[in-house]
Amino acid sequence: MTHLELTNISKQFGQTTVVQDFNLDVKTGEFVSFLGPSGCGKTTTLRMIAGFEIPTTGKVLLGDADITDMSPNQRDVGMVFQAYALFPNMTVAQNIGFGMRIHKEPESAIKERVAEMLALIHLEQKGNSYPSQLSGGQQQRVALARALANRPKVLLLDEPLSALDAKIRVSLRAEIRAIQRKLGITAIYVTHDQEEALSISDRIVVMFDGKIEQVGTPFEIYNFPQTAFVASFVGTLNTTDAEVVNPAKKLIKIDGVQLETAEGLEDKKKGDKIKIAIRPERLNFASVEKKANLFDSTIENITFLGSVVRIQVKVGNNRFNMDTFNNPFLELPKIGAKEQITCSREAVLILNS
Amino acid sequence: MKRGGVIWSWFWMILGILYFFLPLVATFIFSLKAKLGVLSFLSYEQLFNDNDFIRGFSYSIMWGVLTIIVGILIFFPTAYWVRMRLPQFRTAVEFVTLLPFVVPAIVFVFGLVRTFSHPPFLIVDSPALLVLAYVVLIMPYMYRSIDTGLRSIDVRTLTEAAQSLGAGWGTILFRVILPNIRVSIISGGFLGFAIVMGEYILAQYLAKPAFAPFLAYLIQQKAYEPAAATIVSIALTWACMGIIQLVGRGGGQAQIAGGH
Repeated sequence: MTHLELTNISKQFGQTTVVQDFNLDVKTGEFVSFLGPSGCGKTTTLRMIAGFEIPTTGKVLLGDADITDMSPNQRDVGMVFQAYALFPNMTVAQNIGFGMRIHKEPESAIKERVAEMLALIHLEQKGNSYPSQLSGGQQQRVALARALANRPKVLLLDEPLSALDAKIRVSLRAEIRAIQRKLGITAIYVTHDQEEALSISDRIVVMFDGKIEQVGTPFEIYNFPQTAFVASFVGTLNTTDAEVVNPAKKLIKIDGVQLETAEGLEDKKKGDKIKIAIRPERLNFASVEKKANLFDSTIENITFLGSVVRIQVKVGNNRFNMDTFNNPFLELPKIGAKEQITCSREAVLILNS
Repeated sequence: MKRGGVIWSWFWMILGILYFFLPLVATFIFSLKAKLGVLSFLSYEQLFNDNDFIRGFSYSIMWGVLTIIVGILIFFPTAYWVRMRLPQFRTAVEFVTLLPFVVPAIVFVFGLVRTFSHPPFLIVDSPALLVLAYVVLIMPYMYRSIDTGLRSIDVRTLTEAAQSLGAGWGTILFRVILPNIRVSIISGGFLGFAIVMGEYILAQYLAKPAFAPFLAYLIQQKAYEPAAATIVSIALTWACMGIIQLVGRGGGQAQIAGGH
């Protein structure tokens, strides 16, 4: 069931268009991430849902209600900010109960809900502490509890982990996801961190230059990027120009090397220039029997990344990265060595320009 | 630091202390000499038994406090709104707040008298005019103090957090923002209060029985009581400064934490 609907949303600041033609349906209980680089319009879109910005065109529907022009304090959305935004003059318990007090709920109900929220974020002992007495991670958990205490219809999270160190970021994102699943609340999460978006989301909206580039599950976004931008932004990807050789047989050519792809080329004709992409982990050293999708390459660089070893190879005029699992008992090729590499036909992705 | 440098530092510091404190000490000692041949607090006794002093002192305190309250109610929402919604006007507003430094008080008071001494604004006899004039006078100190406080916290994010939790403007201003800049507000308030207590020109030319005109009158009439009144006035100013320091130390953490 669609819970949150953004229809033809656009936002202009003066002459600058920050978001254009944004359409999205979010189902009840879904966790959707807006992913993109700085300035792509993801935070502005979130702020339009929160009511801090009014769309220049388009509509925001929450349930059956049109909330496009509603003020932020009437929208029934909870928001978690990058900078925590806890009220420094209030204790943790007062922060969490703030929204309920605004809504004039009975003191006993507030007390009960605050205790429930404190238990949810595992900070039962910190109710009487002030925000300045908590670590960054604890403060953000309190901010999450505060946003949830009012039982909002949608939870909005604006880069909530950006100010935290790497280890806490990983544990807290798992905690956020677990809490969201437990409560079944619809959540919109803004991030520029692809790993964060891939690990936490039901669906990802990849944005660039104010527009949606692709909407899909993390699996779809990573494995089947539809545009050159998505391919370059999400994960590491080898992209290069190619030429269509035989659309019917799905054959293409890079630097004179013929490749077969599993993707449709029906709308292309022989000689068309296209852009293709291959994930580094889909490239392998060729076994003897392999006949198709074979490249002659020269090893240019080898980088040890822990569990993975990244090998840079030169194929014609192109440089490709090839990832292989670290195996201490297998010898790595030498720099400068000539090797044949290969990939499956499914690994050759055709990108929309 | 070289030894010679240290000696000169001490020299200038002691010179500064003497420059500031010798007149005060001299005034204080003089105020104790009301009784011939002995040091006593007679001049203070006489001062506190003088109805005109009590009247002038309490008059200044009362309208001074009211000035601070009116000042907070005007400058706090203004500074907040300029910061939140009208940042492009900040320079212009800051310029306006500095005008009391540029316009001499005597020019200001004659402007007030001319404007408010005939209908429809016939309020020249009312203490309200004095309070409004004082509010203008303390504007540079109070506005800047509040603005500095607002700069030390993340006003926009705190406002948006409160809004997303359902708070209206009144709640945001007085339950979220104000408590987090209370140090700045109290500092500005006491600074303004100290200025109001010592203000002479406005009170004199608006013919109000305030403390400073009383002190000027006293100097012309008596010998020792003016010195005692001066010491009382300075003690009050210092008490205000002490309270600012005390509150600043206690509330600093909360104010700084707002910047997270």
